Amino acid sequence: MYEGGGKMVKTFWLITLILGLALAGCDRDLPQEKPGQGGKGAMKTIVAVGDSLTAGLGVAGEESYPAQLEKKLQADGYGYRVVNAGVSAETSSGTLSRLEWVLTLRPDIVILETGANDGLRGIDPQVAENNIREILKILGDRQVVVVLAGMKMVRNLGAVYVGRFNGMYPRLAEESGAIFMPFFLDGVAMQAGLNQADGIHPNVAGYKKVIDNLYPYVLEAIKRKEGK
Amino acid sequence: MTDPILAADRLSKHYTLGGQKITVLNEVSLAVAKGEFVVITGNSGSGKTTLLSLLSGLDLPSSGRIAIAGCDITGLTEDQLAPLRNSLTGFVFQAFHLIPSLNALENVMFPAELKKDPEARAKAERLLDRVGLLPRRHNFPEQLSGGEQQRVAICRALINGPEIVFADEPTGNLDSRNSDGIIRLLLDLHDDQRTTLVMATHSQSLAARADRVIRLNDGRITDADRGEQ
Amino acid sequence: MNLRFLFREMVHSRGQAVIFILCVALSLVSIVAINSFRRDVRSVIVSDARSLHGGDVIVQAHADFSPALQGELAEVEKGQGVTALTTWEFYSVARRGDGGAALFSNIKAVDQGYPLYGRVELLSGREFIDVLAPGRAIVAAALLERLNLAVGDRLLLGNTSLEITDVVSRESSRPVDFFNFGPRIFVSTADLASLDLVGKGSRVNHQVLLKLTGESRPDQVAARLQARAATGQEQVTTSTNTGSRVKRFFDNLLFFLSLISVFTLLLAGIGMQSSLAALLRRKVKSFAILRSLGATGWFLLRHYLVLVLLLGAVGCGLGIVAGLLLKQSFSGLLAGLLPENIVLGASLADVVEGMGLGLVVVVFFTFLPLRGIEEVKPATIFRKEGGAGRSRTTTRLLVVGGLLLLFGLVVRQLEDVWTGLYFMAGILALVSLVTVLVGGLLRLLGRANYQALALRQAVRSLLRPGNASRAIVVTLAAALAVLLAIYLVEQNLRATYIDSYPADAPTLFCLDIQTDQKQGFVELAGGAVELFPVVRARLQAINDSRINREAELQRRGDSLAREFSLTYRDSLLDDELLVAGEALFGRPDRPGTLPPVSLLDTVVGMGDIKLGDILDFNIQGVPLRAEVTSIRSHTRSMLYPYFYFVFPEKILRAAPQTFFAALKVAKEEVAQLENRIVARYPNISPVNVGESAVELGRLMEKLAVMITFFASFSILAGGLILVSSILATRMARMEEAVYYKILGAGSAFVLRVFLLENLLLALLSGGAAVLVAELGSWALCHFLLDIRYDPYGLASLALLAMTIGLVVLLGLLSSVTIIRKKPGRFLREQL
Repeated sequence: MYEGGGKMVKTFWLITLILGLALAGCDRDLPQEKPGQGGKGAMKTIVAVGDSLTAGLGVAGEESYPAQLEKKLQADGYGYRVVNAGVSAETSSGTLSRLEWVLTLRPDIVILETGANDGLRGIDPQVAENNIREILKILGDRQVVVVLAGMKMVRNLGAVYVGRFNGMYPRLAEESGAIFMPFFLDGVAMQAGLNQADGIHPNVAGYKKVIDNLYPYVLEAIKRKEGK
Repeated sequence: MTDPILAADRLSKHYTLGGQKITVLNEVSLAVAKGEFVVITGNSGSGKTTLLSLLSGLDLPSSGRIAIAGCDITGLTEDQLAPLRNSLTGFVFQAFHLIPSLNALENVMFPAELKKDPEARAKAERLLDRVGLLPRRHNFPEQLSGGEQQRVAICRALINGPEIVFADEPTGNLDSRNSDGIIRLLLDLHDDQRTTLVMATHSQSLAARADRVIRLNDGRITDADRGEQ
Repeated sequence: MNLRFLFREMVHSRGQAVIFILCVALSLVSIVAINSFRRDVRSVIVSDARSLHGGDVIVQAHADFSPALQGELAEVEKGQGVTALTTWEFYSVARRGDGGAALFSNIKAVDQGYPLYGRVELLSGREFIDVLAPGRAIVAAALLERLNLAVGDRLLLGNTSLEITDVVSRESSRPVDFFNFGPRIFVSTADLASLDLVGKGSRVNHQVLLKLTGESRPDQVAARLQARAATGQEQVTTSTNTGSRVKRFFDNLLFFLSLISVFTLLLAGIGMQSSLAALLRRKVKSFAILRSLGATGWFLLRHYLVLVLLLGAVGCGLGIVAGLLLKQSFSGLLAGLLPENIVLGASLADVVEGMGLGLVVVVFFTFLPLRGIEEVKPATIFRKEGGAGRSRTTTRLLVVGGLLLLFGLVVRQLEDVWTGLYFMAGILALVSLVTVLVGGLLRLLGRANYQALALRQAVRSLLRPGNASRAIVVTLAAALAVLLAIYLVEQNLRATYIDSYPADAPTLFCLDIQTDQKQGFVELAGGAVELFPVVRARLQAINDSRINREAELQRRGDSLAREFSLTYRDSLLDDELLVAGEALFGRPDRPGTLPPVSLLDTVVGMGDIKLGDILDFNIQGVPLRAEVTSIRSHTRSMLYPYFYFVFPEKILRAAPQTFFAALKVAKEEVAQLENRIVARYPNISPVNVGESAVELGRLMEKLAVMITFFASFSILAGGLILVSSILATRMARMEEAVYYKILGAGSAFVLRVFLLENLLLALLSGGAAVLVAELGSWALCHFLLDIRYDPYGLASLALLAMTIGLVVLLGLLSSVTIIRKKPGRFLREQL
């Protein structure tokens, strides 16, 4: 039990960290990207924009869905790299505000997965809806093909809230013409064996399932991109 | 006797010990002339040391008066006594009482330094040379033998050229060879400088050389006679 | 055994004996108090953990339990003395009964009979169990405030409407929760169906709490259930194996207090030793006489051993009683911090332990001086002799044995071998340092030439052969150094956590402010807002070597593998200073083209990063390579916002960012402002830290009082050492004073010598103490506590002045009698 004073201090640090910076203790590791590399000019770029579900909280970097997706695509002969641009604990407002930065990666395709943290914090769904609409508009203006991943909010927030939240994704997809994956965690959410102990974040097996579900939509996006 | 250098008038000293009053000195009167060598003798416990410390002003009598060089010292404060002790009298003890933190030379110099005598060091070295201890002047008391310590003590008593030197059994802690040396030294000094010498001692041989012997018994003078007799 | 001899010896040196007894008592007081307190706290923490976790065994999952677990639970519940209770905890959105404002809240649905342990206190003073019923809700005060509701109003939750019947004032299962996302709402499990919030697709925390009053033991029951629980999904814990913040808090507090009381013990031990040594020094002559009469060394040793043990036992008794009395005062000192159900009693264990501890300490600190008795030679009657050790090897063996014993004791008290080792090494280092320092100073003092007789005399008697002044100065300096160090560290802790804390700490933090909301937010908050851009990023590599994610996660505390918040600005903040590098972003003509980055010193320590190192960041998918150009330190309270990595604005301006705001808002306006902010910018999350800040400040205040209180025992021990050392040298001083007077020195001279000698002693001890304490405290603050160090020069000066005043005063008091006394009398009495 050594570190008497020290421990106390460390506790304070922790408090400060949480207080001051509201950081989730995020364990993901981004695949290392070197700009200009990995493309040989021909590589096209998919940017996975999202929150901890994209970042891969609680699983190793190479197990996160963007890394797995890249592997699968390249194994299938698609010349795409997938950049993990997930930020844990991010709400849709955060995603909107960093969109310009993400666009400096010049993505051909964006997989957009956001809004879950808005819901889990009980933020008015209208806020998330406006944010995502704005994001989709910017991406559309830049000719970026978008896969919009839908989200369904947990039931305990109440039927009113859940109804408003869940309803926004199909509406947004329709408005924007984005490729729509109705539920990002379809078949994974609330499945004990596919999630980590926190009951929210998929484990490795869970991400496999996510990839399986997601893959056709990505292929469709590629087709749309190449078709142009 | 005209103008005694030291005069005591009916000195008494009592102690209270365990509620019992003990009389150590009882109405002792005496006078010592300048340059005289007086020996106070008596059995152990007869009051010799007490008498000597009263005469020298190291202790206060319960009653009676003492005058040194015509000055009554019984009413003096310790601070008034200080210059008197420093220059007028010198003391040699049975147990030497050198200052343990000072070396031989510094012990001798100390009284001279107290009165800011610029010659302190020179005088001290001269005295130490005379008693044959100059080579050992940097030794500390505990590094000296008893006889050596007593010689240093005698030098210290003499450095300011006192009128009277009191010596309390100066050879009491020494063997006969050392005793002889110390006695010779004291008598030489007495003879050279005509310093008055008041000494308490058991020694019959010393008593024999005194100008006068005062015998104490149970705190009273029983007999005072001329040494020559 | 000659009892009369023993008695005579004791009476003859009663002054030192009293000091010895006091030292023994003092060495035990605080340690007995703390150990007994620790026992009480630990026993109460078990029961406290129950109220914290709500049961002896806790089974939880994020969904309904698996059939296997349910079956096993049903079996367990059949057992005798088993009470079970279900709770569901989840977040939801509550609305005003009129369908108006909504608020994200934390719902806890509980069975009738909740809580099994602990209490939920209600504002009305009624019992929770009597108030909560189907159709009713008990809510946190914050909810009423935010939704502008009152008790008696209705609240819409899920598919139903509930009546607000009371307000929660305190929950033992949520003692100090700083960061709850939403206010609490208690409802009855009977309402769950009509709420329709829990079911497939809900995110809930489902618990079954078990209270075991019968035969069954929590760990056995837990093991049974664990065997049936689905791994990773269903958790079974007992209240004792669940880490508790309260336990950790008290562990830390008691550790720190233990540290102080071990210091006190050592100081008191030194006091014991020096008082005994002084006592024995006075006796050397009579020992020599006794030996010359045929008494063996063992005879003397035996008697003194018995004497010391006797005095030691009296001291122990006194110490134990005082310690247990002292412990009673803790309830006052720690009011509000102590678990409410704690009973501060005295047990046999306290007494036995105290006695044992005391005897060990007495034996350790007295065997060296006692051994000296055996070595007194009859010849000492005739002349002082240096007591050359007779058998150095045995003495050394004894010292080593004693040190081991002491080490065992320290380890036992601090409950960790390494900490004990560090502590002992620290003490050894302290003593050697002080010894060397004092030795050097004394030698310097001895070399110098003094014109003034009194000064020379003072120096001479300080340095006289056989004088114990070096030992006294070392002891005193070590004691004072420790005391000053405790004070300095405490002051620095206080400055870091309390003084700088509530005064300039922000009361409200707002997260996630978007760029386009900045303007509006500042207007809304009304001026005094500090906004910090936050750019989320992750450190990928240092000098091209990748961050080892696994190793980082093993690390306790902060980790380089987590996501960091970068910020950008072009200058230092008010509370920052550069500790390395020429400017925040280096010289303008810096070679290389990499963007510069400035690091906070704390993160530098985490990764062994130096100036000029190359860091690879990944800023949300976009790589950034930067060179370390400066290292900063920040001086303000830990709760003031700070950033590990600072970039120039041009590098990160385009990066995705949110703003983090720190606001100072009057306490009573916080809730209103929160409402205004959320109403206008629903994405912004306000965190009310003012409340937590005040709470924390109060906590620190209490801790400081506690620590000062304990440190005062060390001060007392230091005082005893001082008195004892002055008593020890009193004889020698008196002797010298008498000689001066015989040789014709006036009282002014004698006084001057004493004054100067004491002054030198005090200056040496105090000076060495200040030097060592400043150095030690700085090291402690810098390396162990990681807080900024302020040397508090005034405190050091005050200590010096106090030491001088005390030493000089005590020294003069002890020698003033001799100035008026006739020298003849002293000679007669002493010879």
